[in-house]
Amino acid sequence: MLEVQNIDVFYGDIQALWDVSLRVSEGEMVALIGANGAGKTTMVETISGLLRSKAGAITFNNIRIDKKESHKIVQMGISLVPEEKGIFPGMSVLENLELGAFPAESRKHKDESYQSVYGLFSVLESRLQQSAGTLSGGERTMLAIGRALMARPKLLVLDEPSLGLAPLVVKNIFKVIQEIQDSNVSTLLVEQNVRAALRIAARAYIVENGRIADHGKAEKFLHDEKVIEAYLGAA
Amino acid sequence: MTLAFITQSLVSGINVGALYGLTAVGLSLVFGVMKILNVAHGEFIMIGAYAGFWLFTLLDCDPFLGLPLVGIALFLLGMICYKVLFSHVAKFVEEVKLKNSLLIAFGLFLIFPQIAQTLWTGDERAISPAYSGESFAVLGIRIGYVPLGALLVAVVVILGLHLLLNKTYYGKAVRATSENWRAAKLMGINVERTYMVTFSLGVAIAGIAGVLIGLTQALMPAMGMEWTIKALIVVLLAGIGSIPGAFFAGIILGVVEAVSAIWMGPYTVAVGMVILLVILMFRPQGLFGKA
Amino acid sequence: MSSKGKKYSSITIIVIAILISIPLMTQRSDVLTWFTLTFLYIILAHSWNIIGGFTGQQNLGHAAFFGLGAMTVRYAWLSGVPLPLALLLGGLSATLFALIIGFPAFRLKGIYFVIGTLVMAEVLRIIFDVLFPRASVLPTKMLGSYNMNSRYYLSLIVMGLMVAVILWLSRSRCGMAMMSVREDADAAEASGIDTQKYKLFAFALSTFFCGLAGGVFAYYSVAVLANSLFSPEWTFDALIIVFVGGVGTILGPIIGSVFFVLLKQLLSLYLPGGIHVTVFGVLFILVVLFLPGGLIQLMEIIRSRISLLRSS
Repeated sequence: MLEVQNIDVFYGDIQALWDVSLRVSEGEMVALIGANGAGKTTMVETISGLLRSKAGAITFNNIRIDKKESHKIVQMGISLVPEEKGIFPGMSVLENLELGAFPAESRKHKDESYQSVYGLFSVLESRLQQSAGTLSGGERTMLAIGRALMARPKLLVLDEPSLGLAPLVVKNIFKVIQEIQDSNVSTLLVEQNVRAALRIAARAYIVENGRIADHGKAEKFLHDEKVIEAYLGAA
Repeated sequence: MTLAFITQSLVSGINVGALYGLTAVGLSLVFGVMKILNVAHGEFIMIGAYAGFWLFTLLDCDPFLGLPLVGIALFLLGMICYKVLFSHVAKFVEEVKLKNSLLIAFGLFLIFPQIAQTLWTGDERAISPAYSGESFAVLGIRIGYVPLGALLVAVVVILGLHLLLNKTYYGKAVRATSENWRAAKLMGINVERTYMVTFSLGVAIAGIAGVLIGLTQALMPAMGMEWTIKALIVVLLAGIGSIPGAFFAGIILGVVEAVSAIWMGPYTVAVGMVILLVILMFRPQGLFGKA
Repeated sequence: MSSKGKKYSSITIIVIAILISIPLMTQRSDVLTWFTLTFLYIILAHSWNIIGGFTGQQNLGHAAFFGLGAMTVRYAWLSGVPLPLALLLGGLSATLFALIIGFPAFRLKGIYFVIGTLVMAEVLRIIFDVLFPRASVLPTKMLGSYNMNSRYYLSLIVMGLMVAVILWLSRSRCGMAMMSVREDADAAEASGIDTQKYKLFAFALSTFFCGLAGGVFAYYSVAVLANSLFSPEWTFDALIIVFVGGVGTILGPIIGSVFFVLLKQLLSLYLPGGIHVTVFGVLFILVVLFLPGGLIQLMEIIRSRISLLRSS
């Protein structure tokens, strides 16, 4: 479904990604694991069109997307929940969700989408008129994920959903992520919480210093001593 | 100093204030959404005024009826200016973007009055349809048809803008873009196009305000700067990005000016400026800005 | 001194010698006027360059100080105060006003500072326009003895002073401190630089010379009107010259002024008045968009192209 082939990404003159390739198949959950600053966010931002790669190609359902504008990529079915969540603080929870359904196709199914989002995150339904800026960290994450789902994406990309959240909340979020994946939305999950990510993902890519250091079945890494040692602190 | 005299001053203050508010709204919209301070805003007002003048004198079109035409014309002009000039700075980080957009608008501020001078000469013009000076009396107060019409148009435009921003998908996209343009992109919003349309809308509003101003005051190629300053004062007083706030602040400024004109005579023009300076002394971030 | 330094010094000496001898070579009033005005604009532009170019504070109220200097000098000189003293008073009156408003002014950030200074200058203009609505014309006695040479040399001397100060600033720690404020005021503050002190000093220096420029203009002009002395055009002209010439540089405003006055005189001969403003407006926009270093950058580009051609 999503094919990233040999991309090089630069910030100005500074190279951040070298020859990165990865793949997400339909219905799969793939994890991107790595330390802070390894380049995971750079990767997903490039996929979403916020950054451009200088070499290589990115295709989605056999269509090249690496030269496309962000909004077009969203319309094609890739939704990114960025690391900073990016909710609109001056607008209400409902308006945030509404904006998630901005692409014309998803707008038609807006009401259905609301219902499924409330089903996953019931707390949002009780805060519809509240200004999004007043939400707690966990609620913001839920809103950001719910909003991304309003676009009815074929591929959901999550950048560090557990960041800054209390352990109980993280557990809840991962449960929901699993539910989302069960409903056949392909997911690309970037996480520093290695154990949690490896538990729910099918495959994983290890990112180190802007390169893919290793990849394979998630289960394999769960029992791999090197990985556990390297990322134990992040569990 | 009769009550009637003061009330009359109040009425004319509200009329002028509505125009201040309208011009401020156009400026505030653009600055709030894209952080571009269009110091050539007054020049677009001037162009709109002359456009209305031309429609009236060359095509015999009633200025009020011609408003939509002027609006569309200025919208197109705004689009061209944005595409050719301002879009280049949109990609910069906020501080540089602000400075460079300021400088570009300054360049326009230099150029437009010269073009106007060439097209219309420096002589004072006015848009004076047949009903220009007429008025009707309500409780001893004279209310001019033209100022009343201008007030109504201003209210309609601002109400329309308010509805647009709050009730339509496009409007919500604009608000989202102004709060976080990266997240807006991730919603599937075409941020570049949103910027262009918003800028053009701001210019169109300036143009409409221009026609209304041309109906109530004299037209001169150099009239732009004064209106830019007035709009800036209102925007800085009302707080950036607040559209209804800009309108009400405009009316307040108009009324304050009208009432203080009774005592201040030729210094009246400076009243709004002094108020702004005093407020900035105590609150360097404006009345509603964040510290 | 390095060989390059020697080259610059000798060029400077030659230029100074030429400039001093111009009135000895020709007494044509149009030539002398052109030089005098060019010198004036150099003072005007460079004085703004101190606060706007070096220190990065886009002060749009420059005209206020020009006006204050001009009014002070005009009335002092016409009341019999000797010219040098009158000029000093002019510069000082501008600086005094600058220091008074400097404290509240520099509390403003970003656009608030820009707009605030512009509005302040406008308020001053309105006040002076109401207080001095009529032009001050030189009494006939003085008209008869009007000597272009003294205007020329005064303008030249003040310009020389201005350029000397700029040269000093560009090499001194003081200048470096100002530039650090421009680049990143917070970082400068964190490095122990008292940004407030340097902003005020730059402001005082800038306004002093702007006041002097106003004084020179007041001495040069046969008739002056308060409204025109405080006209924001003086601010805008300074901005145009500095940006088109090359903001923050030494040669930039000089070349910009030469270009500006030349264009103004030439264009006004053949085309309706004010067209030079349009040309400069377009140039201004082009500079902002494509050539931020102004004419100086253009010259650098040409120079490097030529040396590339030579070496190949």
